[in-house]
Amino acid sequence: VNASPTVASLRAALPFVALTLAAQPPTFSHDVAPVIYANCVACHRVGGAGPFPLLTYRDVRSHARQIAALTKAHYMPPWPPAAGSPEFLDERRLTAREIEMLTRWANAGAPQGSPEETPAPPVFSDGWQLGTPDLIIRASKPLNLPASGSDVFWNFVFDPRLTMTRYVRALEIRPQGEPDVRGPSPKPEGSQSIHHANLLIDRVGSTARLEASPGSGFPGMDVTIDRNPLDPESHFLFWKPGTLPYSEPKGFSWRLDPGNLLVLNTHVEPSGKPRQITPALGLYFTDEAPSRFPIVIELDRDDLLDIPSGAKDFVVSDRFRIPADSDLLAIYPHAHYLARLMEVSLTLPDGTEFPLLRIPDWDLKWQAVYRYRKPVFLPKDSIVFLRYHYDNSSGNRRNPNSPPKRVEAGNKATDEMAHLWLQLLPRGPGDRRRLIQTTVLEHKLEKNPRDYAANLNLGALALSRLDAQAAVSFLRTAIAIEPAHPEPHDMLGSALLNLGRLADAAAQFRAALRFQPDFMNAHYNLSRVLARTGDLKAAILEYQPVAKAYAASARIQTEYGFLLYRDGKKTEARSQFEKALTLDPTYADALRGRDLTASAETPR
Amino acid sequence: MLPSLLGKAFELTFLLSTATLAGDFSLGVLDLNNQALDPFAPPARTRVFLFVRSDCPITNRYAPELQRISAEFSRQGAVFFRVYADNSDTKAAIEEHGREYGFPGIALRDPEHRLAKRSHATVAPEAAVFDLRGKLAYYGRIDDRYVEVGKSRPQAQVHDLEAAIRSVLNGQQPVALHQPAVGCSLADVQ
Repeated sequence: VNASPTVASLRAALPFVALTLAAQPPTFSHDVAPVIYANCVACHRVGGAGPFPLLTYRDVRSHARQIAALTKAHYMPPWPPAAGSPEFLDERRLTAREIEMLTRWANAGAPQGSPEETPAPPVFSDGWQLGTPDLIIRASKPLNLPASGSDVFWNFVFDPRLTMTRYVRALEIRPQGEPDVRGPSPKPEGSQSIHHANLLIDRVGSTARLEASPGSGFPGMDVTIDRNPLDPESHFLFWKPGTLPYSEPKGFSWRLDPGNLLVLNTHVEPSGKPRQITPALGLYFTDEAPSRFPIVIELDRDDLLDIPSGAKDFVVSDRFRIPADSDLLAIYPHAHYLARLMEVSLTLPDGTEFPLLRIPDWDLKWQAVYRYRKPVFLPKDSIVFLRYHYDNSSGNRRNPNSPPKRVEAGNKATDEMAHLWLQLLPRGPGDRRRLIQTTVLEHKLEKNPRDYAANLNLGALALSRLDAQAAVSFLRTAIAIEPAHPEPHDMLGSALLNLGRLADAAAQFRAALRFQPDFMNAHYNLSRVLARTGDLKAAILEYQPVAKAYAASARIQTEYGFLLYRDGKKTEARSQFEKALTLDPTYADALRGRDLTASAETPR
Repeated sequence: MLPSLLGKAFELTFLLSTATLAGDFSLGVLDLNNQALDPFAPPARTRVFLFVRSDCPITNRYAPELQRISAEFSRQGAVFFRVYADNSDTKAAIEEHGREYGFPGIALRDPEHRLAKRSHATVAPEAAVFDLRGKLAYYGRIDDRYVEVGKSRPQAQVHDLEAAIRSVLNGQQPVALHQPAVGCSLADVQ
């Protein structure tokens, strides 16, 4: 009986308590600083990627309303993927409660609270984040960024000048350049003008044809770097603001060979004053060769991109069947200014579907590689499905064309793209990338049988598994599409040589040399065919440029020696073997060659 | 050479006039030496106030455009001021900001935000154009490049400030009195 008044008074008291709690505004020290320190200061610090620091009460107070508005709009912190897909590394997303708190704080006049309650701000170093790198490389030439104008898409070229193959376990990309060795500058520039940067390895000299002079760099939003299909892309080497450099897990190092160049593809925004930008790279080596072999695959629907002017929701989609049990390590979507909603999902063999990535409002400026916190298992026969939506109306304020016009696929900012890169690690021991790669290329051919690169690469893969018949068919198609490219002729020659068709093979090597007279592979191959037909004089002539180009290769010098020996030129042959042995004193073939030629000179 | 000489002469006249004329100091506007001054005192065909924040990336990105506009209209008798509402900006910092980005206009402080209030300015960068008689003729964005913070067009399509100054110099009303501006909040600084 006595209980009821108590309950009644409690009920009466509760709303009062709630009111007092609501009326108590959040303070910087107690509520705001922990959120800002955890989510903002990696960029918003002196010398960071953000345009102003947010480290002190004064810093944060002088942006209070802006912080409230931009967090509410989900523009800051910049994290385009929506919640709901498997968790990514370095996710930077505020909770609804945090966003609401920041608004209440701004509305309350941004009170400080008691300063002694403020947590210690995180400490940052402007130096190399993983310690002194084993190799520091500066871009060969700086970019002179004007004060104003449209965004600049620039590719910096780095020459590591390696003399031996190295394995890289970590990489720090510093768009703002090397740390100042004179110590912290009072007003460091930071990397504010740069939104994202993607490092590509040029193993076959692609940059030479893109640059005006070696090392000068070159413009371009999307770069095509040729790859040997037997040595596919394996890692994402990406920089985004405020993220610590990524260290590869054990076994996942990547190879850098002498002669390789590195190309940093950047998106730079003029900031109101002219700037000179000279990015730097820090490489950390390991002696351990890779024992895990991930592969970066590319899905694209550029073939469907023909977006009518004014189209508000133009959709392209693609589905790719995973050919072998694999783990998905990272994902990188890409389009230009018209794309809005991007969806990537996975359908398991049992029909279960779940999102891998969903970006509700794509913004080219904040594009990034997303690494999954835990690898996502993609069982054999599961399907990766991508669907990109494009808005080519004048309602899309990012539309680069005003008035809107018909847009097709291409590399310019006014063109569009529909790309998705996935980093997959096939399950099981050893290097199992070949199957995945073949399936990706076949998938490309299904969409476009006249895809030159797909035909060429499938030809190369067939050749590598000694399926010469299949190689001939792919390579003939590639030649029909691009008759003047030397590579497919050279590979077709090799395939025909495998089938014993020597005269046809020689004709193909000659065709390759017609289109590229200094194509050493073709000279080498032609020399082999000529030697097999017994025309040693012609074979020697053909080998000469190869021996000259590879003056530092013991193997090439030795082979040349044997060719000369077979033609009876023992003295010349002997000098070749000597030359090879100065390069590598233990090279067995050269030792054998020297013995052969030595005994020939011994008087009987 | 002539336009820049005229511009200099104008600035000089203005500085002399602030020193000698007693004007309306009720706005609480200060020069960089914290001396009260009345930006409405000297005669001018039109006065353009540019509200800026030295730490605002959108403000800074507009520097070259503001330079272009001021170069064009200064020689026609428009006087440009750039107004700092943040009291923590030192004289040296303001001068450095002007030099670094090449900002046009005579630097002023608006410590009590009264000039901002009179100009209805709420963000940086934002402009206010007053006519010969000191009447507010236009206030708001410089152009339509920014749609919202973080969302901008590749190029501006409508150059509101430029059009407004031209109208006022021609003795006409600008097409619109106001176009909302996108930028960094002025109320955030004290």
